This record gives sequence, structure tokens and C-alpha cells, in this order.
Amino acid sequence: MPDRPPSRDGLRLWTMVAAHAADRGGRVSVADACAVAASAAHVSGAGLTVMTRSDSGRVVCVTDDVSARVEELQVTLGEGPCVDAYASRAPVLTPDLRGQHALRRWPAFAPAAKEVGAAAVFAFPLQMGAVRLGVMDLYHHEPRSLASDELRDALVLADTATMLLLGGETGHEDFLGDASAGLLSEREGYRAEIDQAMGMVSVQLGVNVEVAFLRLRAYAYAEDRSLTDVCSDVVARRLRFSADPDAEPGGGDGRAPDVDE
Amino acid sequence: MDSERLSTTFVELADTLVADFDVLDFLHLLVTRCTQLLDVSATGVLLADPAGHLRVMAASSEQVRLLELFQLQNDQGPCLDCYHSGRPVHVTDLAAVELRWPRFTAQAREHGYGAVTALPMRLRDDVIGAMNLFSSAPGLDDADIQVAQALADVATIGILQQRAHRQSDTVVTQLQTALNSRVLIEQAKGILAERLRMTMDEAFTTLRAHARATHRHLSELAQAVVTGNEDITSLSAHRPRSRSSD
Repeated sequence: MPDRPPSRDGLRLWTMVAAHAADRGGRVSVADACAVAASAAHVSGAGLTVMTRSDSGRVVCVTDDVSARVEELQVTLGEGPCVDAYASRAPVLTPDLRGQHALRRWPAFAPAAKEVGAAAVFAFPLQMGAVRLGVMDLYHHEPRSLASDELRDALVLADTATMLLLGGETGHEDFLGDASAGLLSEREGYRAEIDQAMGMVSVQLGVNVEVAFLRLRAYAYAEDRSLTDVCSDVVARRLRFSADPDAEPGGGDGRAPDVDE
Repeated sequence: MDSERLSTTFVELADTLVADFDVLDFLHLLVTRCTQLLDVSATGVLLADPAGHLRVMAASSEQVRLLELFQLQNDQGPCLDCYHSGRPVHVTDLAAVELRWPRFTAQAREHGYGAVTALPMRLRDDVIGAMNLFSSAPGLDDADIQVAQALADVATIGILQQRAHRQSDTVVTQLQTALNSRVLIEQAKGILAERLRMTMDEAFTTLRAHARATHRHLSELAQAVVTGNEDITSLSAHRPRSRSSD
């Protein structure tokens, strides 16, 4: 009989992220997600690098000096678990950087990371379907593997960081204000509609899906509606976004997008 | 049940698993075959994300996808009970369990379903999701349930087999990869639905047909569609025929 809890892990971890932000006295950011990821996975530290297909990456936050060096090394050398996680769109877990496998794979990064004090690195891509934003790296000062619950927590927090990165771009402080209810519930259940709407709006506006998500999010915020509601309307073709700058939804003039019917 | 059809189905699924396959394409084939073989109205497969929330990975019809979502949204139903307990939940008459899941039973009966069987998808001690079969009352008999459980086990193997060659892969990361592929497919469906003015169901059928015709993985094609690296007009050749356009 499995005893795996019918978990509300997302909620538990979100509460930790929010508490971390409150302790800092700031609004919730990816830095809080990184810090909570490091503590939940019982590792020495964490860092987050935003990447694009064309450039090598920009370090956004780190929990300590070692994770700062680990992130910088990967950006500078252009190799490492983080680079591979981004390229392969899948987590890259390296319990021991001294191993032959790691040395063969990353001849420059593996010895350099060991030198700065990282013996194990776990890299998690920050993504939502085709949207790829960067990578969250966890490191530990000595070789170790992640237990499955630690791995699960790290994945949940990578998702949280993804949403924070996307939300941060909208400049709405309370994007996650009512977090436990807002974001988490919206990502369950009807999430397919959110993803479908991202695709539809990207065509309507002639932008990529990431920008389409931001526009949907901004519109929901401006209209004080849930993202799920807005996305359902898009999928049901009750709501259309227009590329016409004079009809920007949720834009400068606050005018609503074209509405069919 | 027709034993010849049963063995044909297992051979077909096993053939898929030994080849280079796409997990979502595989799950779609599985729910389709499951529905035909067991003579049920609909089949759905749900997987748990790392936070423990179930997500619909495959459904034999849009209607059952919505019903599965309804269960998740309302946090009640046989599928959730099955996932949480790790045990099969077999309901021979939905009318008799109204008190247990009032909203779910109302919704399911409205769709014309009278019985439901939810089977755990498990690997050793882990329950990774559940497979649900909807039918008219009284639903599956014991022999059917055994076959259905075997198919649920095949689904589990398929999901965990995907990309198993990657050294650092674990059950949890494999599930995550499968879940992200689903997101990708939904985004691609949205793009096709808008560009080719079709329904989400038609968009999925079109994606799948084009992937087959060009011998590509469904998720690889979806990726190309979403990142703008696919000529979308070429996909319209695989648009499903509809009454209006014929």
C-alpha cells in the first residue's frame, strides 16, 4: 500500500516561498523560490539563470558565493548541467561532478565547479510547453543524490520560479498576491485551456507564446478576472485579441480587446 | 471479450514500445484501443504532477476530457479516490453513489454514463496516476477489469520507458517530461485551431495525422509548430473531413 500523501505539496511549498519573502521584507521573487528550493532539497545552495536560444545566459539570483560561481562558470564556459538542461528541456541530475561521466561531458566545467566548492549539481529547466526561460540549479558541497521527495519539491519550485519569471514581467506586484488560491489552482484542472489560449492569442497577435501568455495575464489582471476565465473565453472564441495597437487589450488606453458576438 | 482482438491490441502496443515512440501518441493509441476493446464509452489517463495534482494526459474524446477535468476541478470523483488510495474504484451504478460524489455523479450521468472504473497506474510503491473507464451500467465485469488493469500497467510502462536511456532520468523527471509534452501539444493545438479555424479536437487529429504522415514524433512536430518552424498551411492537408466541408 503506497503511503504517498494525496499531497498539496504545491501549497506547502508556496507558503514557504511567501514566508521567505515576508522575512526578507520584499515581494515574492525567484530569489525566494531558489532559497526555498535549496532548503527543501537539503542542498548547499541554488542559483537561477535566464537563458535564450541566442545568448549564453544572465544570472538572475544566487543564494551564496558558491552558487554564484557555479552559475557564472556555466555562462562563461558555455557548458554544464544548466546548459544541457536548457537544451534538452529535461532536468540534468549530476550527483558527483568528480565522476568520469561528468568529466567527459563537461571537461571544463566539472573540474572548475569542484574547485569553487560544488560537488553535485542538479539543473531544472524553467519551461511551460514551448516556452523556455532558463534554468534553476541546485548545488551541494559534497557528492549526493536527491531523494525522490526532494526531487519533487525541486520540480515544483522550478515551476513556481517559472511562473514568477513570467509574472514578474507584467510588473504586477500582486500577480501572486492571492497566491495559494490564484496561481496554484489556475494551473490545475483547466490548465489545458490556458495553454490552448496561449497558442490562439499568439496567432491573433503575431507574437510568440510567451508574449501571448503575458498579454493574457495582463488582460486578466486589468479586467480583474481569473486567467482561467479569460482563457476559456478565448478558446470558446468569445474573446479575441487584436494586433491593432489602438485596440490593445489591457494596454495603455485600457480598452478591451475585440469581442466577437 | 474477443480474445483475438485482445492479443492484437497487446501486440500493437508492445510493438510501439520497442520502437522509438512518442509518449502522448502512445497514450492516445492506448485509450482509443482500450475504449474499443472493452466496449466502454470513453477512457481517460491522468498523471500526477510533482505537486501531486492530477492532469489529464490522454482522453478518448473531448467529452471525457472535460469530465475528467470536472473531477479535478471539484476535487471529487472515483479517479481521485483511486489515485489517493492506490486501489481500484469500481462503480457499477453511478445513481447509487450520489452521496459520495454528488457533483461528479450528476455530471457523469448527464453525459450518459452509468458506471465507471478507475484503476491505479503504479510502479512499485508509487502511484503515478489513474486510468478511468466510463460506460453504461453495470460497467465492466471482473475479466474486463483484469484486462483494463493490464492496459493501465502498459500505459505506466510506456510513460516510464520514454527517454529511459537518459542516464539521469528518474520516474519523477520522466513524468515531468511527459507533462510538459502535454502542455506543448495544447499550445500547438491552440495555434492550429486559430490559424486553420478548426476545433481543438480537429487540431489534435490534424497534428497527429501530419506527424504520422511525415514519420515524426507528435511532440517534435508540436514544438516546431509552436516555435514557428513549421509551415502550418502544409498541415491543413491533414484536416479531418467534416460534414460541412465534404
